Amino acid sequence: MSQVEFASSRLAPAEPDVIPALTAPNAEAAALWQLRRRMIRTHLRQILSHSRLRLSLIVVLSALLWAGMFWLFADGFQFLESAISHVPTLHRTVGAVFSIFFAALLVMLVFSSAILIYSGLFWAKDAPLLLALPVRTQRVFLHKFQEALFFSSWAFFLLSSPMLLAYGVTKSAPWYYFASLPAFLLAFTYVPAAMGAIACVVVVRWAPRGRYHVLVAAVAVLVGAAAWLGWTVLTGPDGALFTPAWFRQILARMQFSQQSLLPSWWLSSGLLDAADRNWSESTLYLSLLIANALLLRQTAIWMAGRAYRAAYDRLQGRHVPRRAARPVWIDRALMRLVPLPLSVRLLLVKDLRLFRRDPVQWSQFLVFFGLLALYFLNIRRFGSNARQIAWVNMISFLNLSVVGLILSTLTTRFIFPMISLEGRRFWMLGLLPVRRETILWSKFLFAVGGSLLPCCVLVFFSDAMLGVPGFIQASHQSTCILLCLGLSGMAVGLGARMPNFRESSPSRIAAGFGGTLNLVASALYILTIVALTALPSHFYLLARHSLAGGFLAERPGVLWWLDFWLVAGIAASVVLGLATTILPLMLGIRALRRMEF
Amino acid sequence: MIELDEVTRRYGRKVAVDRLSMRIAAGELFAFLGPNGAGKTTTIKMLVGLLWPSAGTVRVGGFDLVHQTREAARLLGYVPEEPFLYEKLSGREFLEFTGRMRGLAPAELARRIERQRNDFQLDAFLDALVETYSHGMRQRLAFASALLHEPAVLVVDEPTVGLDPRSVHALKELLRGRAAAGTAVFMSTHTLAVAEEIADRIGIVHEGRLAFLGTRDEVRRQMAHNGGSLERLFLRLTGDADAAPLPPTDQE
Repeated sequence: MSQVEFASSRLAPAEPDVIPALTAPNAEAAALWQLRRRMIRTHLRQILSHSRLRLSLIVVLSALLWAGMFWLFADGFQFLESAISHVPTLHRTVGAVFSIFFAALLVMLVFSSAILIYSGLFWAKDAPLLLALPVRTQRVFLHKFQEALFFSSWAFFLLSSPMLLAYGVTKSAPWYYFASLPAFLLAFTYVPAAMGAIACVVVVRWAPRGRYHVLVAAVAVLVGAAAWLGWTVLTGPDGALFTPAWFRQILARMQFSQQSLLPSWWLSSGLLDAADRNWSESTLYLSLLIANALLLRQTAIWMAGRAYRAAYDRLQGRHVPRRAARPVWIDRALMRLVPLPLSVRLLLVKDLRLFRRDPVQWSQFLVFFGLLALYFLNIRRFGSNARQIAWVNMISFLNLSVVGLILSTLTTRFIFPMISLEGRRFWMLGLLPVRRETILWSKFLFAVGGSLLPCCVLVFFSDAMLGVPGFIQASHQSTCILLCLGLSGMAVGLGARMPNFRESSPSRIAAGFGGTLNLVASALYILTIVALTALPSHFYLLARHSLAGGFLAERPGVLWWLDFWLVAGIAASVVLGLATTILPLMLGIRALRRMEF
Repeated sequence: MIELDEVTRRYGRKVAVDRLSMRIAAGELFAFLGPNGAGKTTTIKMLVGLLWPSAGTVRVGGFDLVHQTREAARLLGYVPEEPFLYEKLSGREFLEFTGRMRGLAPAELARRIERQRNDFQLDAFLDALVETYSHGMRQRLAFASALLHEPAVLVVDEPTVGLDPRSVHALKELLRGRAAAGTAVFMSTHTLAVAEEIADRIGIVHEGRLAFLGTRDEVRRQMAHNGGSLERLFLRLTGDADAAPLPPTDQE
């Protein structure tokens, strides 16, 4: 506004006596749709002009994922057809698979929609703007509901479409099976989205203070129920796998997902009927889904009209007590016991406190590593069936790769943006008597310190449950340490080399070019370093196996070469790991020294 | 045009606004002063319908903000302290959106956008994305949007924050011009000099209660008894005069 003068003399006179008419409902809807179209168009233009690499990666990887899932499901359905000759049992089995799949997604969609609509209705930055306009409350709600519906259900479409198309293709389903798929899926997603939205508005309106308790209690009940169901469905005699008796037993245990009041059952029944050319029954289920979707949508809109503004008022108007922030034992231990310079310890404690007090950060660590731990701890069942040593070895290295890939997403999301975020605080850090590289080293130590323990413990769980030999376990642990060092060094170094000081959101910084490059480079690093140790281990174990060893041992000197390959692979991985740790850090230090804030 | 009648707002046990009553007429520029946490922003949020009073009523143009929110909102223009603007829209698109949401017909909307473009000198950036705007540009667009529908009531929260002296001057001209044209202007500010210069009436709120309410002449009379400045009057009314005495000036 520095060069402007608001010309008051030219302002048109206000007309307080003329009260403008209220906006027509259709005009409100049209304006909001135009807003959405324009923002999407701008986003797309920007992505196409500035982030082609990221867009290409997303499209290619999504297409690969989709094609992989299609192939997997098609193969699975063909296997079921060949394994179950009794047609009614085959139908019941596929029905059970569909029902359990959609029932699980139903529950997840309720939660994801509720959480998305909660942030959209109550915390989105445009919510006050929309609520201060003379717009119907229901319209604002519907606008946010549509956003939540889209963001919560796109993954549902991505996951379910390959399975359903694969089923249709395998089963040679009629045209109306494929034609009705979008209508079935859309109607189905409306049901949990509306349920989540109603729950969200009701909880915030009538229990604004207890909203997190309600969410935690619901999640606890859900996790408990899932664990109990998982336990009852999956536990059974090992030797009975894929026999008719086993299928019957599993089907009986999955009966809970086929309750006739569950929308997921209507969806699976309707689709199965369409595939079986029973179009009248299929249309009945589709009508049932659409009717319920519309009823729940109208109920949600009605509820929002009555409760949204009051809920907004109660949430924004609640008393937020000041949280006491005291040092905890780990801060004191870091300050007293760690033999590092004081400035590094202070920076570490500062980052640890920021991490600890931001649930978005530690909850994602907890979810990813928790799910991995759950999987690794339940791996015995698969391990005992994978009797051949090659399978065990392959699974153990795949698990190691998964730990690395999960860690790489976390370092990209949380470690890479750290220097960019410090840029906003550099008025303070830059004036301290601390060398700039100290800041970088402290980030590196923070990343390594935070990732080493959970990753090594996870890899140990996986190896212990699979019964991997001791020296392979040692090799896995050393590879895991190299992964933690390399991924941390890369995220910190590239984060300093390619900072983004304009953004305040870490997720947006991570989603930029630098973050994408870090993610891709991390994935390549993981694959290379795991391959360097996994392949020689694989052949080393085969050579010593009673069956394959004979074949390999017949060739002169092969065992010596395999030993050499194993040692050379480990040595190469160490060299690569150290280079990947040190070089990006050096680049980052050089960039940070030259940087002007 | 604006009526607050025994308005109380609580945050849990904390009383943010305590039995606040006042009326602001059409064509009046009212400055609402108070220290941080005194209840200014809470009052403004109740004035535009974002928060509801725990007790009492808030009316704009005779419409109750709780029960007739839409009817009251069409009379209101609101510029918050940190106005939200869609980053991925251009300034023109943002004006078109708010205009359409306020029910302006396309031809009328185009005419008014053209007028705002001239009045607020938006030419240089009206068709650029908002994400490229400076603070001043954003503030200008926010005002252009809030005044697009010629509101009978303009509510502005801390409009001078972050503006350079030239922009503050322009803003004062704008607000005076609006009041002269018949708009009831409700302005919350920390800048005492601005309030003293342009307001028809000044209200000072302290701990949720109205500690002072008077016309500019009444303020000057009070100032004469309180060291000759609005700052001293403000400090006395908000309880800090004795704790933080002002240093004498060179003239003194």
